[in-house]
Order: sequence, then structure tokens, then C-alpha cells
Amino acid sequence: MSILMNDSTRVIVQGITGRIGKAQAHWMLEYGTKVVGGVTPGKGGTTVEGLPVFNSVQEAVKETGANASVFFVPAAFVLDAFMETIDAGIKLIVIVPEHIPVRDVMKMRSYAMENGVFALGPTTPGILVPGKGKMGIMPASMFAPGRVGIISRSGTLSYEFAGILSENNVGQSTVVGMGADPVVLRNLTDILELFEEDEGTDAVIVVGEVGGEQEEKAAGFIKRRMTKPVAAYIAGRYSPQGKRMGHAGAIVRGASGTVAGKQEALRDAGVTILDSPIHVADWAVKHKLS
Amino acid sequence: MRLHEYEALDIFERNGIPVPRRGVASTMHEALRVAGEIGYPVILKAQVLVGGRGLAGGIKTASSPDELKEVAEALLSSDVKGLPVLKLLVCEKVEVAKELYVGITIDGYSGKPVIVASTEGGMLIEETARTSPEKIAAIHVDSSLEFYPYQARTMLGRLSGINQQLLTSWTDVIGQLYNVVMRYEPLICEINPLVVLPNGGLIAVDAVLEVDDSAISRVRFPLPDRVERIENPLERRGREIGVTYVDLDGDIGLISSGAGLGMASTDIIGERMKPANFLETGGGITADLLYKCMELIMMKPGLRAVFINVYGGINPIHEGAKGVVRYIQEHNVKIPIVAKALGNRQEETWEIFRSAGVHVVTEAATEKAIDRLYELVGRG
Repeated sequence: MSILMNDSTRVIVQGITGRIGKAQAHWMLEYGTKVVGGVTPGKGGTTVEGLPVFNSVQEAVKETGANASVFFVPAAFVLDAFMETIDAGIKLIVIVPEHIPVRDVMKMRSYAMENGVFALGPTTPGILVPGKGKMGIMPASMFAPGRVGIISRSGTLSYEFAGILSENNVGQSTVVGMGADPVVLRNLTDILELFEEDEGTDAVIVVGEVGGEQEEKAAGFIKRRMTKPVAAYIAGRYSPQGKRMGHAGAIVRGASGTVAGKQEALRDAGVTILDSPIHVADWAVKHKLS
Repeated sequence: MRLHEYEALDIFERNGIPVPRRGVASTMHEALRVAGEIGYPVILKAQVLVGGRGLAGGIKTASSPDELKEVAEALLSSDVKGLPVLKLLVCEKVEVAKELYVGITIDGYSGKPVIVASTEGGMLIEETARTSPEKIAAIHVDSSLEFYPYQARTMLGRLSGINQQLLTSWTDVIGQLYNVVMRYEPLICEINPLVVLPNGGLIAVDAVLEVDDSAISRVRFPLPDRVERIENPLERRGREIGVTYVDLDGDIGLISSGAGLGMASTDIIGERMKPANFLETGGGITADLLYKCMELIMMKPGLRAVFINVYGGINPIHEGAKGVVRYIQEHNVKIPIVAKALGNRQEETWEIFRSAGVHVVTEAATEKAIDRLYELVGRG
């Protein structure tokens, strides 16, 4: 089993006629994902990688029975396309593009919440269920099927962790990139909850980084609700300080946001703190996850 | 993009927020002229893009032309937290009855703007938040992003020691500040302190405004140039070629794809050696971009080695490898280069790197690649 994607997931690719959309549609199909079509307004009626292209999401849903969408749409058009996708009834959306204004993300997030849509990103590599399918850009060679869930704020670090586990014969149930922006469409806690409930997942790895308060909030959830073992790595110990100028964030959030603060909150919740990605191998062996 | 205080004050003023009389000076003589127009005493404030200026000695008072000459000369030849002081804001010294705080930021966890206010403004505001949370009030703006003055009145009503006059004028300032938020799409917009004058009026004595980089192109009001303001020449060059470069004080150059991987790389390098820089390419690697990245990191004098840590998800890393190799061959690079490049078309990428003598590490763990780097540069 897996979270978010399963055998009935039927994916459309928005922005499929662009250079990246086309290339990624190819890789997703090659990985075995049920990609059923694409959408680019004005390019309806054409085909890309053998897939039908539609002018609107509504049309794509009607013709293909799609229930999930992955975005390779230019940042300036993402808000519009996102609203269209929700109104067309799609319930799982992955926003790969970066540089989307935070104000747009706030609007997208609240509309997704109101409509019961599970959306990930922006700036996410997406979701990958090893051996089954993927929505997004994760490079297939890093992953192997198994029972460890990975949630990462950073795209490339999710590959790193999966790669180290795979080299040590520890497979993954689902790998989820939550996105690296100041506001993301779903919080870490929501994804942890899915892994806690998933019968195919025995343990979870959280890959966090300096800034924000996702990890601190997740620590509260882990302490109250998680029964599965969790390990966490927080990047950014040596990152230069002084990037932040105002006080408003620090006043609201108190001491949170630092690597040490996040590690402390997570450790207090019973999470194993990994000082370097390579230590994930020993942790997996100790918990007999291979 | 962070604006300088003098730029933010101009924007606040255009949006109706009361601000002090002031002028900007790059030389002692200009400062003297501005102070003459304003009248003594004046405050001189170093215009550097870093927090905690006051505590770092970047804010001084001058009561006479003689004192101003001395203070301005000293400030203009100084550093504040490592940043050179190129400009001074010369400001009217207002009489302070009380210092307040007000700021608007984005609450990342709820995904909503949050307005924060306190009756204890000033340099120790973060300390106050920890020790006396009852002196801080905050309210979220809902997802419509519409703000109504009653929300500010409700929030301020929770703070003690506020009379009706202050409640009204403070609510006005919050409304004006929210207008700035709607027009400029900042991540942070802040006045600290917001000074209460002896007559009860309010005046913004400081201004912080950091515009969302992703929104700059659609802000319909004039903004200063984003690249020009970066003082570090290497960081400016990074912005010009479209990558994030942060100058550090070590001697191991780094190119990484992704901020998380870049941070993890600097963390691991930092255990045994010292990173010379942080460089994150973002999505969209090309041969040309990695050539320029090599050019950029090699501008730093005294590099002992280079570490390239990239994944091919959206990035065609074999193209990137060609750019690196072209740089090595054209510039006859002698220092060791270690590359960890995994993902789509990795075997092809390794071949390209090896053709130019790059040490290729094929395991996933960055730690292993840095072990290799450590062997190559030796312990000296």
C-alpha cells in the first residue's frame, strides 16, 4: 500500500505541451504511472507522448476520468490553472513549479482546504510510489519498493535519503515532497497522519530544514498520535544567519525556526535525530526495516 | 528583496504613514547639508540590510555640525555586522513618549497574513515576546485577504495601557500598513519602533519591508533594482546568472542543485573543512549555466577543491557536466573536483566528468563524497 497515489489514480499533466511537461510526461509513463492526458489551453486536439491534450481540465476529466493532476505550468499561470482544476473536481494536485508568489499560494491553499483537495507544493518534486507510479520529477533510479515513508521539504534531499536506503536494501512505501516555499499547500502534520494510517508503512523519515515551524508543529502531532518510529534530519546547521530582517515572525513563533530548536522539539517527541543523511542506514537496520 | 530603511520609509510615507523629516547621504558633506535642512539634533542610521543595527553600533545621534562630522565620518568608514556602510539616513530626532511595535508577516503554518502589535516596541521586542507574551497581540487576516479596521481595534483592545486616542491612531497606521502589504506583496512589513509623540501623535521611526521575490514583476509601484543592491560582488554575479550564491569564509567551493542538498552539503563540509560558498542552481540546469557557476565559484581566491552535488530530476545533469568540463579544459583547472551526480542519465554524466579528470562518486550519501574530498585536499 501507499499514501496519496494508488491503482485508481489517473493523472493529467497540466502544461504538457511545454518542454518540461513533455519530458516529464515521458518519464512518468515510463515509470508505469497511469497518465491519461494533458491540458494546455489552446492546444486541445493535439497529442503528446501519445496522450490526448485538452483545452480545459473539465474536458480532460470528462473524457479520461482523471482524478489527479500534476503541474508544469509557468508560475504566473498557476493560480488560475489551480482554481480551474479544483472546480473540475480533481482531488489530488501536485505543483512542481517554483517562484509562485506567496499571495497566490495562500489563495490556492485556502481554496484547496475548502474543497477537500489534497495539494502539494509549490516547488515540490511530487509523489513517488516505488515500482508503481509517480506524479512529478523524482528520478526513478533512486527508489526501491518497501515499507519506509519519506516526507521532505527539500526535493533533492528526498532523493538522497531514498538513495541511501535503497543502497542498503531498505525500500520505501511512498516518498512525498511537501514543497520548499514559505507557505505550502499541505503541512507536514497532514502527511504524517496519512503515513500513520497507512498499512504499508512501518516507519517514517522526516527531512526538514532551517526556518518556519513545520517540524515543531509536527513534533506535537508525533508526540500525541504517532505509534510508528520516526527519524528526522534537519538541514541548515551551518547556513549563514542574518537572512531575516523583521521581527514579526520571531515574535509570533518564539524560538522556533532554528535547527537546534527543531531537533529539540522532535527529540522530545521521541524522534531519532540524524546528524547526517548517511546515518539513516544504521537507523533502518536497527529498526529491522530492510 | 529587502529594501533599505530609507526606501521603505518613502513607501510608508506615500501610503499615509507619518514618518520623520529625513534625507540620505553617502558622504559626510551630504550628511552635513541634510542635517542643516532638518535642524539639530539628528539621528544618523547606517543603511545596511541586516537586523539588530542599533545594538551593533549603527545608529548614532549628533547634536551639532562638529559632532555630526565626526559621527558621519566614523559610520561611513565602518562595518555593521560585516557589511560596509555606504549610505546614511539622516533623520529628525523625535521626542519619544513611548515606543510601540507593529508588523505584518506571513504565518507559514496557517498560510495567512498575521498582524502583530505590542506596547513594548524597540530593540528588545523579541525578548519581550518571550518574557511577557501578554504585551503582544496578534490577529490573522482570513483567506479573502480583506482587512477591516475593527480587527485592529479588537486586537489592540487586548493590550493594556491604551487610551481611546491611541487606539484610533494606531488602528489608522495598521490600515495604512495593510495597504502597503496589498500593494507591494511583502513577506515582512514592520515598524519598530512606532513612536508615540508627547502630543499623542504617532510616527514611524523605522521601516522594514521585504518584498516577495516571486511577486516583484507584478508589483505595479516603482521598486529599486534588485540586482544592483547586492553589495557582495560574487553574490551579485550569482543573482545575475540566476542562482543563489552565498559567500562564506572557507576554501571548498560548492555547486548543488536544490537548497536542501546545498545546506546539507555545507553542513557536512563544515564538520571537517570550511565551505567557501553556498550555491544552489534551482531547476533548469544547462551546460551554459554550470559553466557560469564554475566561473563564479572560481572567482573566490584560494579555493582548495570543488564539490559538485547534483541530482537529475528536472535537471539534465549530463548537460551540466559538459559545462563543467568545458570550464576545466578552457581554464586548465588544477585543484581537485569531486562530483556526485545521480538520477536521469547518470552513467552518461559520469563519463563526461571522468573525461576531464573529475573524481566521480557514485554512492547516494553526500558524506561519502565529502570523505573523498577530504582525502584529496589532505588535512592541511
